[in-house]
Amino acid sequence: MSFSDTDVQGALKNLIDPNTKKDFVSGKSVKNVKVSGSDVSLDIMLGYPAKSVMDEIRAMVEAHLKKSLPGAGKISVNASSKVVPHAVQRGVKLVEGVKNIIAVASGKGGVGKSTTAVNLALALAAEGARVGVLDADIYGPSQPTMLGISGQPKSVDGKSLEPMTNHGLQAMSIGFMIDSEDTPMVWRGPMVTQALDQLLHQTRWDDLDYLVVDLPPGTGDIQLSLAQKVPVTGAVIVTTPQDIALMDARKGLKMFEKVGIKIVGIVENMSTHICSKCGHEEHIFGAGGGEKMCADYNVEFLGGLPLDIRIREQTDSGNPTVVADPDGKIAKEYKQIARRIAVKVADMAQDHSAAFPKIVVQNT
Amino acid sequence: MSAQPTEIKLHQQSRTLEIVFDDGAAFKLPYEFLRVYSPSAEVSGHGPGQEVLQVGKRDVGVTALEPVGSYAVQINFDDGHDTGLYTWERLYSMGKNQEALWQDYLDRMTAAGASREPLPGNKK
Repeated sequence: MSFSDTDVQGALKNLIDPNTKKDFVSGKSVKNVKVSGSDVSLDIMLGYPAKSVMDEIRAMVEAHLKKSLPGAGKISVNASSKVVPHAVQRGVKLVEGVKNIIAVASGKGGVGKSTTAVNLALALAAEGARVGVLDADIYGPSQPTMLGISGQPKSVDGKSLEPMTNHGLQAMSIGFMIDSEDTPMVWRGPMVTQALDQLLHQTRWDDLDYLVVDLPPGTGDIQLSLAQKVPVTGAVIVTTPQDIALMDARKGLKMFEKVGIKIVGIVENMSTHICSKCGHEEHIFGAGGGEKMCADYNVEFLGGLPLDIRIREQTDSGNPTVVADPDGKIAKEYKQIARRIAVKVADMAQDHSAAFPKIVVQNT
Repeated sequence: MSAQPTEIKLHQQSRTLEIVFDDGAAFKLPYEFLRVYSPSAEVSGHGPGQEVLQVGKRDVGVTALEPVGSYAVQINFDDGHDTGLYTWERLYSMGKNQEALWQDYLDRMTAAGASREPLPGNKK
């Protein structure tokens, strides 16, 4: 029995990618279909990094083709991923060396934004992406400690800075520029926004698929200037399930809506407390707060993370959980959230509906 | 999200900004109308009741439109005023309520005994 390219495409139209929830054909992942005799070869190109599930996907596609193309000989599937750059609004300059910018924000302080940001960045990197972290918290930079990086960035050309690196991430923070850990940045707003601008644009980011921006809490100067001057692909909101944090998370979300930045989704941190003695899991801050907020505002619930002493210990010591215990349950959860973010970002990259309108000047 | 504009046209001769939204709505907003209803603190104040009546803007021109993020434009007028950020939402509502707003402006001008006529030396 013989079949054509169209049969192969047709068969893949009925196979759903478990990550994107779309079939492989409409997800534009099927490339290079070749049929010779009864042998089939093709490439699956995913728009998101997925190292940990790549073999699974390849096996799934092969098995599906075997089943739907009776009489097929050798089926070889080559799976890989390539992150597409986000189309940015006109007028805002694309940051050199960066394909997508993901802002991690919250309304409230202390909900675990920085911890979540660094672990998600590491999870994206573990899935095979090139990732950077920009610490936009000028008053309270945490990324140097969390990434275990000390020392000052070097400049090769005297104008720009080389990002610092550790755990396979590129990183930049105001914390690298100051002399000691207890030096405060006693600055007014304009200085702070200027500093953010420089950290972002004068760092020589090296071919990043994703730049994760760890924002300070609130809806003020830093957030506003990020929205106005930086081509952000989307924002991830971190909250805890308690009402007092959700209240501010709602404000954070509303702010992004106001300034036209899309919400990737909500991560609920400290969803449950896991007792380090007996392993008992308890909703100490209440249950279902994050999900409810997602339902209220029609955004995606990306996942929940436990309040676990190991996350705090590992991150404080410069070895965040995703690298300290890469195969553990918590790292798996971070990786799954990271994949959901990547899938959503890939979708956004193809959606031009919110692009800046065309401006035409006419002599009429 | 509210309606997004798909195109903005500046008609420099007739001094009108034409804006088309993705829900099909289209508005023609004269520069003078945009200028006297600028959302900047200089014009709108910091709350209702703090508005400052703008006079003598009949012939005001636009020198540039600067995009602000993906949610607004900053309009640079040729009288030097450039601090107003016009969000898509504001432009939409200004278009929708254009007649009433304009009439209100004219009434306030009459009440103040002021003129739309440009003052000499008002241009930058």
